[in-house]
Amino acid sequence: MKLMDEIVVVENLVKNFKDIVAVDNISFTIGRREIFGLLGPNGAGKTTTIHIIATLLKPTSGRVFVSGYNVVEESKRVREKIGIVFQDPSLDNQLTAYDNMYIHGKLYGLKGRELHDKIMELLDFVELKQFASKKVRYFSGGMRRRLEIARSLLHEPELLILDEPTIGLDPQTRARIWNYIRELRREYDMTILLTTHYMDEAEELASRIAIMDHGKIIAMGTPDELKAMLRGDAIYLVLRGDIDSFCRELSFARECRKIAENRIEVLVDNAPKVLPELFNIALSNNVVIQEVSYRRPTLNEVFLHLTGRELRETIEETPVIRRAYMRRHWR
Amino acid sequence: MDDRDLNAVASMIYRQLKRWISSRSRIVSVIVQPLLWIILLGLGFGAIFSAQNIDTSTWPSFVKINPELLKNIVSKYFTTLFGGVDYITYLITGMASMTAFMGSFISGISVIWDKQFGFLKETLVAPASRRSIIFGRMLGDAIINTIHSTAIILLSLLVSGSINIWGIPAALAYIFIMSLGFTGLGIALSLRFSSMEGFQMIVNLLTMPLMFMSGVFYPLKTMPDWMKTIALFNPLTYAVHGSRYWLTGTDTGLSFMNPLLDLAILSIFTTIFTIIAMILFDRASLED
Repeated sequence: MKLMDEIVVVENLVKNFKDIVAVDNISFTIGRREIFGLLGPNGAGKTTTIHIIATLLKPTSGRVFVSGYNVVEESKRVREKIGIVFQDPSLDNQLTAYDNMYIHGKLYGLKGRELHDKIMELLDFVELKQFASKKVRYFSGGMRRRLEIARSLLHEPELLILDEPTIGLDPQTRARIWNYIRELRREYDMTILLTTHYMDEAEELASRIAIMDHGKIIAMGTPDELKAMLRGDAIYLVLRGDIDSFCRELSFARECRKIAENRIEVLVDNAPKVLPELFNIALSNNVVIQEVSYRRPTLNEVFLHLTGRELRETIEETPVIRRAYMRRHWR
Repeated sequence: MDDRDLNAVASMIYRQLKRWISSRSRIVSVIVQPLLWIILLGLGFGAIFSAQNIDTSTWPSFVKINPELLKNIVSKYFTTLFGGVDYITYLITGMASMTAFMGSFISGISVIWDKQFGFLKETLVAPASRRSIIFGRMLGDAIINTIHSTAIILLSLLVSGSINIWGIPAALAYIFIMSLGFTGLGIALSLRFSSMEGFQMIVNLLTMPLMFMSGVFYPLKTMPDWMKTIALFNPLTYAVHGSRYWLTGTDTGLSFMNPLLDLAILSIFTTIFTIIAMILFDRASLED
């Protein structure tokens, strides 16, 4: 048994798939009643991490505890403590919403009247009560996700794991699911671990965030702490010319550095005020500015600051195509 | 096995039954297919294996045989061959086992579907023991297959007059045990094959010969020796022999076979494949 204030303890976790390093020596803890967000692009290792926490994969090295139980040696105990909503649906489409809940309850040792009442209460919570006896096959994507959330709560888990809870959902449904998550935290004191590649989702919901990229945690803290890494505004320039000497000329900049080929990030207190001056300096230094933008820092800028890539750009990599292909193949 | 494991077994039986009830097309296809076999083979070959159709009028005049005597002899030959019953009775009693046999492999397909559609993950992350989950699933499927066989047996009452109604429960017991074993085999295979195509190919390769070398369509006694040898290692052979014995009182097997031995062999086969399926499912992870 480990410390009880921390519901999840991850120590030096490594996971290799053959010669691919999916998770590269990460450590973090999640305290009770926290909403902890793992933020990062597809392929960053978020899903692998939570599959290990959920006992579905074995770590290559390192240790993971949930409620004090080791996920490898005491996997059964861990399974009792967690509820999980997978990224891809895991419902039985041939059965009704009620039966999906009922079978889940039975698998977790619930019975009879108690089980029935619990099912109805939770279906009510996710506003699916009137569809209880409808087959899941006829449900929309949002309804399925809501049903999965209800199902994962049935056995009163101590830790709720949500893997990309709003992926592929329309804005209204997203907002609705966000509300459920906030309510779970507020009304039920639930500890929630969620993964997402939407920075707004992490910012909106998470009390603490770990940013993951290429299997590593590259930053961790509250959203405010992370954004404080880039106080003020961030100006992004794509330019041609001598970047180093240009940077030296910017006396008003708190920081000026190259984050990618031809691309620099300039941290300033007030971007609109200093931009004209910046253009003048560029002109007098023979630097050609090809693109300019400035932003109030969000988590996206934090990610850009740390990796030189936009979180948004990385979303468009291959996994999306693969998912579309699989869908075509299996539906 | 504790209380929760029993609960898990019950929940998986419930799930398989619910799925079965909700998929009418499957019920129809599982019943219709053997029905087609019975009609097409039973009526087609049934007429050949019957002395009534011997046409003596075209025989040359020097053949001096009493046509009635000939029909008697031929008729005797066929009924002995088929254990004392006509071909359609012979076929339909074998078909009862075959229906459950074919259905057993559908469980394997459903495991692959669950892999593709994610429901498998839901069962892998549950605290109930994996063994009880897969065992519940097997039991549920074996029950469904036995229900299909029951339908075929009830149908046989309409087609044949020589079925012993009191033997039906015993025959169903043989069929149930056999189906449980093949369900285990199907699940074991499905856990090894992640693609539907690969699994289907193996199953087709397996079911066709097992079906024909089991005594469903023709007796073991007249098979070539090599075929007999294979049939001896085919669990379906013993289910067909045993259930046919209870349904018609006929002994259509090889000399050493008897209903008790059938039961013993089926039980051993089923125990082995139940354990294999349990072990493989216990080891199943998201990595394969």
